[in-house]
Amino acid sequence: MGQFLSFLWISIFALLAFSSPALGADYHEQLNLRPLPQSALLASFNFRSNTTVSEFEKGNFRFFPRSLGQILQHAGTRELHLRFSLGRWDAESWGARPWNGAREGGTGVELWAWLEAHADDEADRKWLTLTNALSGLFCASLNFIDGTRTTRPFMSFQPEGDHSTLTNMHLLYGVLPHEVVCTENLTPFLKLLPCKGKAGIASLLDGHKLFDASWQTMAIDVRPICSPGQECVLQIEQTIDMVLDIDRSKRPRDNPIPRSPPADQLPCDTSKPYHSHDTCFPADHTANQDWSLSQIFGKPLKGTCPLTDPAVPPVCLQVPDSRSVFVSEGAFERKNPDQVSRCYEIPPSADFEMALPKPDSSADTTTTAVVAPETPLLYAERSFTGHGQERGGVQTILRNPSPDTDVEFVYMETLPWFMRIYLHTLQARVAGDARTPNSTTDDNKLVRQVYYRPAVDRARGTQLEVRMRVPPASTVFVTYDFEKSILRYTEYPPDANRGFDVAAAVITVINPHHGEGGGEGSGDDAGGKLGRVAAYTLRTTSLLCSLPTPDFSMPYNVIIFTSTAIALAFGGVFNILVRRFVAAHEGPEGGLGVVLGRVKGRLVGLVKKGVEG
Amino acid sequence: MDGAMVTPGRTAGLFAGAAVLRLAIFTLLPKLPDLLTGRVEISTPVTSFKRLQEGLFLYNHNVSPYDGGVYHQAPLFLPLFSLLPDFSSLPIFTYLLYTAADLLSALALWKIADSGEAGSSALFTSPRKGKRWSGFIIAALFLFNPFTVATCLGRSTSVFTTCAILHAIAKAVSGAPFGAMIALSFASYLSMYPLLLLPPLILLSYDRQRPERATKSGLKFAATCASVVAGVLAVLFQMSSLVTGSWEFLPSTYGVQLTLSDLTPNVGLWWYFFVEMFDSFRSFFLAVFWLHLASYVGGLTMRIRRQPLVVLTLLMGIFGIFKPYPSISDTSLFLALVPLYRHVFPLMRYTFVIAAVILYASFLGPAFYHLWIYAGSGNANFFYAITLVWGLGQSLLVCDLMFAVLRDEWEVERPEMVGKEIRQI
Repeated sequence: MGQFLSFLWISIFALLAFSSPALGADYHEQLNLRPLPQSALLASFNFRSNTTVSEFEKGNFRFFPRSLGQILQHAGTRELHLRFSLGRWDAESWGARPWNGAREGGTGVELWAWLEAHADDEADRKWLTLTNALSGLFCASLNFIDGTRTTRPFMSFQPEGDHSTLTNMHLLYGVLPHEVVCTENLTPFLKLLPCKGKAGIASLLDGHKLFDASWQTMAIDVRPICSPGQECVLQIEQTIDMVLDIDRSKRPRDNPIPRSPPADQLPCDTSKPYHSHDTCFPADHTANQDWSLSQIFGKPLKGTCPLTDPAVPPVCLQVPDSRSVFVSEGAFERKNPDQVSRCYEIPPSADFEMALPKPDSSADTTTTAVVAPETPLLYAERSFTGHGQERGGVQTILRNPSPDTDVEFVYMETLPWFMRIYLHTLQARVAGDARTPNSTTDDNKLVRQVYYRPAVDRARGTQLEVRMRVPPASTVFVTYDFEKSILRYTEYPPDANRGFDVAAAVITVINPHHGEGGGEGSGDDAGGKLGRVAAYTLRTTSLLCSLPTPDFSMPYNVIIFTSTAIALAFGGVFNILVRRFVAAHEGPEGGLGVVLGRVKGRLVGLVKKGVEG
Repeated sequence: MDGAMVTPGRTAGLFAGAAVLRLAIFTLLPKLPDLLTGRVEISTPVTSFKRLQEGLFLYNHNVSPYDGGVYHQAPLFLPLFSLLPDFSSLPIFTYLLYTAADLLSALALWKIADSGEAGSSALFTSPRKGKRWSGFIIAALFLFNPFTVATCLGRSTSVFTTCAILHAIAKAVSGAPFGAMIALSFASYLSMYPLLLLPPLILLSYDRQRPERATKSGLKFAATCASVVAGVLAVLFQMSSLVTGSWEFLPSTYGVQLTLSDLTPNVGLWWYFFVEMFDSFRSFFLAVFWLHLASYVGGLTMRIRRQPLVVLTLLMGIFGIFKPYPSISDTSLFLALVPLYRHVFPLMRYTFVIAAVILYASFLGPAFYHLWIYAGSGNANFFYAITLVWGLGQSLLVCDLMFAVLRDEWEVERPEMVGKEIRQI
């Protein structure tokens, strides 16, 4: 049955390809494997399909997923970017990010889209429709992106696609840092693919491995692409990038608990002078990288997706040409001229397996084992300063590794409203520079431009965009203070003392060879367009902000105690105001003595009656 | 001028001493003012100096400070503080401004004390009025009260409200009703709640009119005063909207006080109550709390009609307990007025208890706040409990002072009861 279906698919595909040769490249997919230092492996899955705008508007979805397409049509979305991410990219050891950071998000879920609307209200309505629909489609809490989590970035994001006009386009950006990305988000993601997860490189994707990665990000990008002389196409690109810890992935599934190996099997660095039977210096992980596809993904690659463009090799591997790689029968290796990457043509209907043995022990240096990672344009890390639950500060450390060029970028923060930031405390200073920050007004000023939209309690979050630069080979500290507000007790999440997640800061490095405004480029592919606005994008980790908490168990007690205090004060005042003063012996008798006397009299009377009766 | 001889030298010495104390702390202990600014007992969301700086920063960078959740203070502070040299480079001008505000308050207090209004008003003269403190002592008690000094060092903007209220009273007792109304309008503009002082202040001004310019009809006088306040407030609002370019300052300054949208802890009773309040009852209890606050005005004004200054003093104490964002600045204002009633102190019954409770709360409050926020070994109930004690201690003082004043009035009718035991029926 499966064979018949795939045959059917192939024949349909062939028919389509035959009838319209221009559309032959409508769908392709590629897996890029790049061993990283320290026993890590970057696996980059990319799926891209096109449909012409006219077909899309008529509702003829071919490779474009119908479910998503209809949502986009209904919500008037012209360009969409959705990210599901987990983990941290370790730039210090792994180098520059894949796709120059353009296909990743901060921890949790990020969504930004250009909507077509005449006014802000209309855009907000369409945004609400979009987030709710996507929430259902991707089984994520996107419907929680409300007014307090939505911002309209001013400088950070530029459209990647070609839009005839930007006048009616509204960019909205929402982020859910608390969202836990998991298998239920992967399943709908795979369903959008023409081959689902059944064939082609998507067959390697498995929730157990994907969400076990050190860092992973799933991205969906929809954008219109126009090339001169051809009809505009709507392109959907789905990307999954993951960094697998090879040792961790190779651990068998039936024995997942890490146990220390026996002493004689420890990977020791035998070259150390003190190495002996009872001392061990851990050997460099890089030297021990040996893996196969089925070891790290849990299964081999199930052929190719029959719909994919045969001109694009489905699997590529970036290792130096000197390393030998074993592949299963029928696959064909093609080394690229850059000496550090090779691609494989694989048989369409047979399992594909690839194994990378340990590099030759004679030349076990890092340079020959893995391709040296590229240095990123900027390193960034962000953390909280201060202590206590009353106030705090945020400190971002930005380091420009380049010895001779400035890096100019836009730093964007979207903060929840209960972090009340004090913008007048925003300071940027170069490490080791004692001058007072922000006082220099010359060209060397670090902060070039600030766009700030303050938070409104319970209605809107803070949006802060700072265009700044970092001089070559220096580190810049950006700091500001904030105050933690106390919330109503119903506004705290169930585990209030865990803290509140604060979304990652987005840093967009501006391409130095391009002026501002992202003008009209000729743009023949997405990469080119991306490059014209953002040279590099990176995100810091998200933060966990702990707020002061009330005692959740005692609303009634508080109401009663406070009311008592008020009653005491009011009663005291009222008592003094309305009652008359008399001398102690004047006026009617009162008090406990009178009451006791009356009770005594009654009792005496009763006793007497009883005696008489 | 009464008994205590006050030479000009002593006056100048008092003011100079108070100014030197403040300026010395500002300059010699530069960290202390910032520490005090951060204390919840001193800075509330509607008076905090740090928030004022933020508002000023936004205002100077053409961002509306009212389009955000941080700045809730009066708009005219913005141009005022913009005129001063930049705080971060030349803070001395800000220090001078705050010190001057405190000295002006003390001056007004001195005038009130020297007028003798506390002991003998137009309708009532206390038999004990001879026993009183001079303006010098009362001004000194205000200027060297640790609460006043801490408020000044914390640069809370309630300093200006205090100054305006005291000047309103001083003008009223010196027979300048218009000046009093204008000063009260400023106070109301800055903090809103002083508007509730209008009825007793009108009575005080009415009683102390200068004979040559007196208005006989009470209603006419009240209507004139009310319209002066309304007129001045309208002008201030109009100026504010010109300064900020829109009317959105109204919900952000007065709306916040009315709805308590910012629940930052303070020494009052509102914040924790509304943190723990069920959402469906929130607006109901907001209305109840405000009605409760306003309800004292009518009762006290009528019952103690013969001594309007007493009403003002007691209301100050009540506001210091029950307003939405109280701070120790409100207590310091109340404690500044209490010594005017030196002559009824012997009639007060719980002086020791009150002093003990207020001291207890003053010392334990910061400690419990630290336990909750920084040490993590206590929870919010610790600080809440101490604010309850603080509120009860102050309300005890209010009640006791009221009792003493009323007994003093009563003893005029019953002179033979002096020193006897009495009770209320």
